[in-house]
Amino acid sequence: MRRPNDKARPGAALFVACLVLAAFAAPSSAQAQTVLKTRVRDFSDYSRVSIETTQTLAFGFERSGAVLRVKVDSPTTLRLQGEPVESRVVKSLSWAKQGSTYILTIEAKVPSFNYNFYTLSNPFQLMIDITPDAAALPRPSEKPASSASRPPVSAPATTPASTPAVRPPASDPPAQLAPLPPSAKGVRTIVIDPGHGGLESGAKGRFGTLEKEVTLAVALKIKALIERNLAMRVVLTRDKDIDIPLADRGALANNNDAMLFISIHANGSYRKNSNGSEVYFLSLNAADEDTRRLAYLENNAGELEQKIGEQDADELQMILWDMAQSAFIKKSGQLAEFIQVELNALLGTANRGIKQAPFKVLTEVACPAVLVETAFISNPEEERKLANAVFQDNIAQAVYRGLLNYIRLYSQE
Amino acid sequence: MKQPLTRTQVITLASLFIVIVVLALAFFLGGREERVVPPSSVLKDLEGPAPAVEGEGQKKTVTLFFASEADGLLHLEEREVEAGPTPAQEAGRVLDELVKGSRVGNLAVLPPDTRVRQVYFTRDGIAYVDFSGELSADHPSGSEAELATVFAVVNTLAYNYKDVKRVFILIDGTERESLGGHVRLDRALFPNYSLVAQQP
Repeated sequence: MRRPNDKARPGAALFVACLVLAAFAAPSSAQAQTVLKTRVRDFSDYSRVSIETTQTLAFGFERSGAVLRVKVDSPTTLRLQGEPVESRVVKSLSWAKQGSTYILTIEAKVPSFNYNFYTLSNPFQLMIDITPDAAALPRPSEKPASSASRPPVSAPATTPASTPAVRPPASDPPAQLAPLPPSAKGVRTIVIDPGHGGLESGAKGRFGTLEKEVTLAVALKIKALIERNLAMRVVLTRDKDIDIPLADRGALANNNDAMLFISIHANGSYRKNSNGSEVYFLSLNAADEDTRRLAYLENNAGELEQKIGEQDADELQMILWDMAQSAFIKKSGQLAEFIQVELNALLGTANRGIKQAPFKVLTEVACPAVLVETAFISNPEEERKLANAVFQDNIAQAVYRGLLNYIRLYSQE
Repeated sequence: MKQPLTRTQVITLASLFIVIVVLALAFFLGGREERVVPPSSVLKDLEGPAPAVEGEGQKKTVTLFFASEADGLLHLEEREVEAGPTPAQEAGRVLDELVKGSRVGNLAVLPPDTRVRQVYFTRDGIAYVDFSGELSADHPSGSEAELATVFAVVNTLAYNYKDVKRVFILIDGTERESLGGHVRLDRALFPNYSLVAQQP
């Protein structure tokens, strides 16, 4: 994967990027058509045009006023397939062919803008972020032009102290469920859960570092990485120092139809020497619980048409919920493994492996879910690392890379 | 020929009958006032007073689980406690010993000021253990610490009492989501022997 450009490149410019070999074999037939799927999504400060295809493309850019042209050379026939454009920034997409070059014309609603681009592979994706000049950004017509009109997915803050409130006050956690903006329909949501918060500080380091502070800082970095690089929406269970019950964290994921749930923690132990990183996914006390479930269902199968008592109904509800969660265990384990590999590679901490445990927050989530224990805050050496911004960047990068590998694995589904 | 009963014999038989009736009434009705009333609605499935343990008042060897600084796993440690009078009361004393900590250099996994408020065993194999608030208030938190605490308690009870299949941990008489943000306490938990060191 190429890293995104940090700076916009205004003015007419031509970039020709010859990219690595396609991971997916392109159709070799002369009549073969390659479909380019396009999407336009609005984020808080910019709009993202994404182009996805099974074939690695060589492309370049040319800008003229409010128009950006993406030129693509391809020996095969390219066909554009996209949803209607509904965006605050992008007016239209059009597709044309000049000789052997295909041209995607992106017309902006604003007279001046900057753009960044980056690519992902497997499948090939070209992401073009178009950021209007501040004065040119039109506000949504249905809302007054004020700071309150910002969409719920806000730009991530770099420090917890300066974090903007992206959700209503903590007094009513279920109300924090941020609805998708209309233009973001179809965008998959990932929920990142910074562990602990508020009065519940989590584990404490000898030098005073609090688990809740580390988890929030790391979660914000992960959110920034994902939103910068993937066409995905990230919802944080908290973006400031507040108490959120574990059940509400799961409910937030479920109400946002999250595809993944990643809880970030720093470990703590009675042992002074405990160290290293590990990733947990849910254990349902597998063998015994399964036996109990089967026994219950077998014993009651013939009676289900009869009226079920209140107590039995509760028990049945719990069993059905456990069974629903067990459907995600395999994917959760896979995600845990991918993240664990990257933690080992990037952090230099001891590999404690992937593990299963009956963690409450994971039991509440109806999608693949993992809990990342980044390092031990109870170990003075690792506490110092956890408080370090570069180490936190590396944790975020490891989680992001693990997530990317997971998405690639399951992208065909 | 059968002789009619004398007056003395009739009085003796009548007295005997009355004594038997009184004793029977006392036997069947007299115990009612001694029934234990569970203090919490959580404990609605309680059976009556548990049968007395054999050898009440004698010492009994039990097995406790403590964490090891060396490998982080739970290690078994034997200790003598006073037996009976009921399994639940005895289990309370076993957990008191768990709070006191190891005598062979392993790590205590419950905060030292924690008190065991009450222990109940139910018919369906669940042990309810009610700890004082110190269990969570003084707990260092962190996944490893929580797993050690919770499963030292669960394993200790399941290991020593074959009728205990699962353990429900309460704090100050109430159900909690978790101990410190990790391990669920809203269900009765099965023992987890994967956290225990293999015996030599």
